[in-house]
Amino acid sequence: MEQTVKNPADGTSAYNFAYLDEQTKRMIRRALLKAVAIPGYQVPFAGREMPMPYGWGTGGVQVTAAVIGPNDTLKVIDQGADDTTNAVSIRQFFAKTAQVATTEKTAEASIIQTRHRIPEKELREDQVLVYQVPIPEPLRFLEPRETETRKMHALEEYGLMHVKLYEDIARHGHIATTYAYPVMVDDRYVMDPSPTPKFDNPKMNDMAALQLFGAGREKRIYALPPYTKVKSLDFDDHPFEVQTWEDECGMCGARDSYLDEVILDDQGNRMFVCSDTDYCAERQEAGHRGPQHHDQPLSNSKREKAAE
Amino acid sequence: MYVAVKGGERAINNAHKLLAEQRRGDKDIAEIETDQIEQQLSLSVTRVMAEGSLYDRDLAALAIKQARGDLIEAIFLMRAYRTTLPRFAFSKPIKTAEMDISRRISATFKDLPGGQILGPTFDYTHRLLDFTLMANGEAPAEAPQGEQPVDENMPRVLDDILNYEGLIQDEPTPVDDDAPVADLTREPVKFPAGRDLRLQNLSRGDEGFVLALGYSTQRGYANSHAFVGEIRYGTVSVEIEPEELGFAIDIGDIELTECETVNKFKGSKTKLPQFTRGYGLVFGQNERKSISMALVDRAMRANEMGEQIMGPAQDSEFVMEHSDNVQSTGFVEHIKLPHYVDFQGELELVRRMRTEVEERLAKRDAEDGISHPKAAE
Amino acid sequence: MNLQTSELLPGFDHAAFDSNAVFRALLDAMSRPGRIYDLPVNISAPDGLNAAATATLLAMADMDTTVWLSKSCSTKAAGDHLKFHCGCPISTDVKQADFAVARISDDLSFVTDLAVGNAEYPDQSATLILMVDEISDSPSMTLKGPGIKDTHSLAIKNLPESFHRWRADNHHLFPCGVDVIFASPTQIAALSRTTRIEVN
Repeated sequence: MEQTVKNPADGTSAYNFAYLDEQTKRMIRRALLKAVAIPGYQVPFAGREMPMPYGWGTGGVQVTAAVIGPNDTLKVIDQGADDTTNAVSIRQFFAKTAQVATTEKTAEASIIQTRHRIPEKELREDQVLVYQVPIPEPLRFLEPRETETRKMHALEEYGLMHVKLYEDIARHGHIATTYAYPVMVDDRYVMDPSPTPKFDNPKMNDMAALQLFGAGREKRIYALPPYTKVKSLDFDDHPFEVQTWEDECGMCGARDSYLDEVILDDQGNRMFVCSDTDYCAERQEAGHRGPQHHDQPLSNSKREKAAE
Repeated sequence: MYVAVKGGERAINNAHKLLAEQRRGDKDIAEIETDQIEQQLSLSVTRVMAEGSLYDRDLAALAIKQARGDLIEAIFLMRAYRTTLPRFAFSKPIKTAEMDISRRISATFKDLPGGQILGPTFDYTHRLLDFTLMANGEAPAEAPQGEQPVDENMPRVLDDILNYEGLIQDEPTPVDDDAPVADLTREPVKFPAGRDLRLQNLSRGDEGFVLALGYSTQRGYANSHAFVGEIRYGTVSVEIEPEELGFAIDIGDIELTECETVNKFKGSKTKLPQFTRGYGLVFGQNERKSISMALVDRAMRANEMGEQIMGPAQDSEFVMEHSDNVQSTGFVEHIKLPHYVDFQGELELVRRMRTEVEERLAKRDAEDGISHPKAAE
Repeated sequence: MNLQTSELLPGFDHAAFDSNAVFRALLDAMSRPGRIYDLPVNISAPDGLNAAATATLLAMADMDTTVWLSKSCSTKAAGDHLKFHCGCPISTDVKQADFAVARISDDLSFVTDLAVGNAEYPDQSATLILMVDEISDSPSMTLKGPGIKDTHSLAIKNLPESFHRWRADNHHLFPCGVDVIFASPTQIAALSRTTRIEVN
């Protein structure tokens, strides 16, 4: 179904640049300025209904719509990939409503909207990373009431969070949180990094790029200015650590990137590939090869398999 | 060899084409017109307007057609369109006392000034499928006119009748018609929320959710024992007062259902006992929603009445955070979006923890000198 | 209103693009305290305001924000201009201000009356737009804090000592506090409430 942003009656544009009206953008922009001034604090904003469902990136889309200008180049990723369905849909939305340039290359983007990943390539000062956030409140699963969690942030009362993490250690021997792993921002606010894997947490610390977070359904905006201290919560005897893999990326051979598991058959055979598709493609272009790349010679065991 | 799946863009476009095809259905069957929906599925239309927070029958009919009759999807379409509309003015408070009445009943008095006006209602129909509607859709005979005209200033059961004796909690209308009213579509909601915000939230809240909560108050998850003091359904005019004119002008009529409940009384040894009240107001004819809304409104006044909170309907933060079906459907359904990056983290952790436990058990068994014979496979 | 629109100066050439460009400069400035950004648009300022302050208000203020103007800023031209282009209420009560506008040569004692928010909602605070003659990166102040890699130098011509005392107190209120936007005729720089200042 071709969706149009032109008014069929007179051919004029039915919507403003980047969809939102200017008054809504100003409201979001004011919230953004407050958010960067109070790093990690969740600023309430009067989130609007967007033409995509709540939970599908409406917060990120509103932040991007308020920030994007005609000279920007936008990249949208979901799970690290540019070609996942929701990333495609959001990229098309801005290509249509703001006629901006889009790219799949991390290095070429001035704004990167993301769901669940931070690109592997180090971001620069002239880039903005916009996160889509489902539940902005890191304390929500410990205390469902906003009236209570707001007080806890006001009083810097984060004991409950430490108790929860410590209970994990007592039960499992380590902290059993693998994504949306809470961070402490500039020694003041505990913040939800959005459901990125904890592998990405260290990238948030001291990042050169501005990081903006939008939660549409929960109507909250928060931010990390560049070069801000972001520390994953941990304990002296159980320091924070990230996921590691014994395998390398099957396509580009990377050992330093976040790997997705790909199921090859129903016999338990699997391989690993970079979740960041641009990172992987760039490495392949530079000549790096993993064992499952199609121009790699088949190993003996595979040759036997192929002959079967 | 592995080739990553590509082509999300083409797949999406093709999925949209298939959706459009399915919406149209069998092309040998005449296409449904939006004016047929507007006229003949009018209760769907008013529900979509109510929960979409936009009073436009034609757009609601279009939304229902486009959504293939999925009313929550239609409500979502209305909301997304509503966001883009500029706000020209705030209306003056509507006057339901001056409603052009189609139906008005009271459960608290057998007969009362203004009378019981049944109007169009399913209430006493026998729920038997009417196969003539399927066979030939015969046009129904015209309903006869009543002998007496309906009272133009229909007395209100709670304000004009019960309040006359001081038997009911007084709810003074604001002195200032232009006093600001909260609007959750313009400002972020903060808790505890005022009654204006709570009522707005309920009025555009999901009918099923408000119904279930209202029902729960009747089953002991709140203690408010309600009677329907009055339900009235009809049309009222909406007025705005443009700055440059300085006087109000009528911009059109809307259909509304209003319900006021009379609830369990309060009082003490020194204070005269008095009935309390709940209020419901919704676009179109929707008695189910307006009664439920009044029940939940009354339940949410627990703090104001000094009542103990014993059920979810009394917990306004809980009610308000979960009543919106556009929000809930989005978030519930979003878990079908890819989550494989997070799931990968969980996979890795579960495998690692299993290995750790297995190693621990093996070590303990080795120390105890136990060997496990392998189970036959 | 009995404004003669013919007396009014124009606002932005392109509402969406120009307000976006000005906002991006403000967002960069607030995210990187002390860095100096050129005003990205050409705009005429009414008597009482300068171009950067005018552009900031046109980009950020509207019917939902209250603006307070210091005595030297609150000319009829400035009031008319803001009312026409922003539709913002202009208050004489500094406590109500979302944006307070003053000139560096003004009596700045009003700053202690600006809203600082509260512990639960520290965002409910005012932003001070201070019109200055010149912003430079000579090392009269050394800034540290979020948004700043190591340290950053900033100099504001004629910044009074009282400003620094107020800023030090303001910093201690964190997370409450007032954020400051310095607006020279052609440039913008900001101090977030998080910024620690050493006066050299």
